[in-house]
Amino acid sequence: MINKTIYIALVLMGVLGQTALGITPADKLNVVTTVPDLAWFAKEIGGDQVTVTSLSKGRENLHSLKVRPRTLVSISKADVLIEMGLSLEATWLPELVLASRNRKIHEGEPGRVNCGENWVAMDVPADLSREGGDLHPGGNPHYALSPRSGTHIADHVLRGLVAVDPSHEEQFLERYTKLTERLGKAEKKWKRYAELFEQSKTIEMVVTYHSEFDYLLDYLGVQSKMAIEPKPGVPPTAKHLAKVISHMRDESIPLVLTANWSNSKNVTMVASKAGAKVLELPVMVDGEPWASDWILLIDGLMERLRRGYGLPELEPEKEPSDQGNR
Amino acid sequence: MNSIPIISLCLLVTSSVSYAQSFQSPGMPTSGPASGQSGRFDNSFNPALGLTLDLSGLYTDAPGSANDGLDLSLRTAELSFGAWVDPTAHAYANFVYVEDELVLEEAAATYVGWDSNATIKAGRFYVDFGKQMQAHIHALRTYERPAVLRTFLGEELGGDGIQYNDWTTMGDATVVRWSLGAFGALVSHSHGHEGEEHEGEGEAEVASEPILRPDLDELALTARLTGFADVSEASTLQLGASVRYLPGFEIHHEGGFVEEGKEVESDLSNTVVGLDATWSWLDESGTEGLTVGGEFLMIDGDLGGFFDDAGDGLGDPTADPADPIFLNNSIAVIDDTATGFYAFVDYALDMRSSLGLQYSQVEVLEEGLPELDEWDVYYTHKPTEFQRMRFGLTLAEHEGERDTRFSLQYTLFLGPHSHGVNF
Repeated sequence: MINKTIYIALVLMGVLGQTALGITPADKLNVVTTVPDLAWFAKEIGGDQVTVTSLSKGRENLHSLKVRPRTLVSISKADVLIEMGLSLEATWLPELVLASRNRKIHEGEPGRVNCGENWVAMDVPADLSREGGDLHPGGNPHYALSPRSGTHIADHVLRGLVAVDPSHEEQFLERYTKLTERLGKAEKKWKRYAELFEQSKTIEMVVTYHSEFDYLLDYLGVQSKMAIEPKPGVPPTAKHLAKVISHMRDESIPLVLTANWSNSKNVTMVASKAGAKVLELPVMVDGEPWASDWILLIDGLMERLRRGYGLPELEPEKEPSDQGNR
Repeated sequence: MNSIPIISLCLLVTSSVSYAQSFQSPGMPTSGPASGQSGRFDNSFNPALGLTLDLSGLYTDAPGSANDGLDLSLRTAELSFGAWVDPTAHAYANFVYVEDELVLEEAAATYVGWDSNATIKAGRFYVDFGKQMQAHIHALRTYERPAVLRTFLGEELGGDGIQYNDWTTMGDATVVRWSLGAFGALVSHSHGHEGEEHEGEGEAEVASEPILRPDLDELALTARLTGFADVSEASTLQLGASVRYLPGFEIHHEGGFVEEGKEVESDLSNTVVGLDATWSWLDESGTEGLTVGGEFLMIDGDLGGFFDDAGDGLGDPTADPADPIFLNNSIAVIDDTATGFYAFVDYALDMRSSLGLQYSQVEVLEEGLPELDEWDVYYTHKPTEFQRMRFGLTLAEHEGERDTRFSLQYTLFLGPHSHGVNF
């Protein structure tokens, strides 16, 4: 009796499974991105021709992202998968892609877009050993916070969308052009922020928790010689924390910069003992309500850093037409 | 004196090199259409290698038991390999060194070449039953598997067989997966100190064996159906049902004192059914979270056996097994239904640390089905991705006897570590 019941159950499970496999063809290109920043670029360039889903949310810790049912559903239906690359998503994306059984987004397929390709990364390790902590062999993967990366990411997204849907190349290109114009305008403002930081004689250094802000700080010319993490991904020991506090006191470092997901008791303690302030900032689009797009994110980060250091406000940009009227 | 083995070794080495260089002439073994990638000596296409060391320190307070006292040991060392075979299949193998033996615990390939989500796995692998049986013991939340799983299915349960696996989506936030497995034999085994033999436990003299060359209707079968859904922005729920059918196993008695012809009870079978539920919540950073889960199991059929000594003088070292007094001795098969469950709550404090509590209750597969209760409290800390420390306290009560165990477990992962586990 039990045997029969088992065999019937097995057959029913097989039948149910096969009938549930129907997939409705989508009218729009299904674009899935690993982070909200890339989703914003894909929406800007893809417009009405795409539906975009980000696998992570703006405040999520990418180092420990948990795969959820909707994540698997999204990626299984994706026509295009856009990733940051440089092994930022290495802990969860390869297994997810494998589980999704979606061949369109396998590495090497037109539907797989790796924005880390051709990016000149900082901190490329010379020696690949776990002694160096949680190393990324291709270098620091947090380049989405580099103000210089906007056009680079937009280029990759455009190429990916055109490769998969060449019939809408004209529309993609048109939106890409408008986006790069906006990026160009924003970059002018960001350069003025960089000049402001450069002119300031009070800015010397900042201590960070992790290396997410390295590209941004490099752009602004702010030095970050020490992190609360002794090595990437390795939590601090008491000895290391004492060293950081001592260093901050010696160098009069006024700020501890931390991502919103890594603001811990250690950060607060170090800042308190060193007489510094904690500046908690988002590291991805949608990480805070004000960071609803990538340009606003970079704008907001620079502005908050300026305030954190007590620097003067940026002077309003002079309009070329005003100068002409004079 | 030793020249023959040395010469043999030289010949073996010479022939290995020749073969590996693919310098073959007609009539020699060939490897089929090739691009030279399987015969090269460089490591460009070699599989990923990983080593997992599971060290443990136990202090058990169990007077009269073999487990009583302190035990510091290398519990297991697992060497794993994994690679794509070609674009349609990937494979892995896990060799485990445990108690001075090297055991091939898993070696399986998964074919993924179909356009649908269906896959076929073939080789030696762990059964797809509930949410814990696919995992190796060092990968569990707790030091051991819950008592009910150890009792009904074994500390680890694997076999040589084939498994069909498939999944589909239902809406935007639900996935449903099912699998069907068939095995020539399913063998449960333990990893040392606290483990216990599965089938036929109870009396030490009575042991079970799977049949070696089963007919089709004697294949061991497994099946699992599970649904995994987002139930809110921050929480998920997974429900599952699993079956394991084990036919055609034998119980035999090895200690004498049983009339010839009565030492084996054959053509036995049993079925285990499990229902599991897991709810999980994560904060917006994905680092702090709560997981609550459990599984109810029922085993039905031939649960094991015990030596029915009919009141004779078994145990007397001077007794003669041929004495007619032992003619009434036999193996008594326990044909019954037993149940058990486990439930747990696990709180992730942050990305690295978690605290958990687990309770398991089971009717032990012995005469009279006495109950075993087991409590586990555990704290796990992962300093990095490659190290894990766990402190545990286990309280077990069985037939009025109480065991208390403190455990310290330190597990290191060198290189990649993957077992091809499905959700």
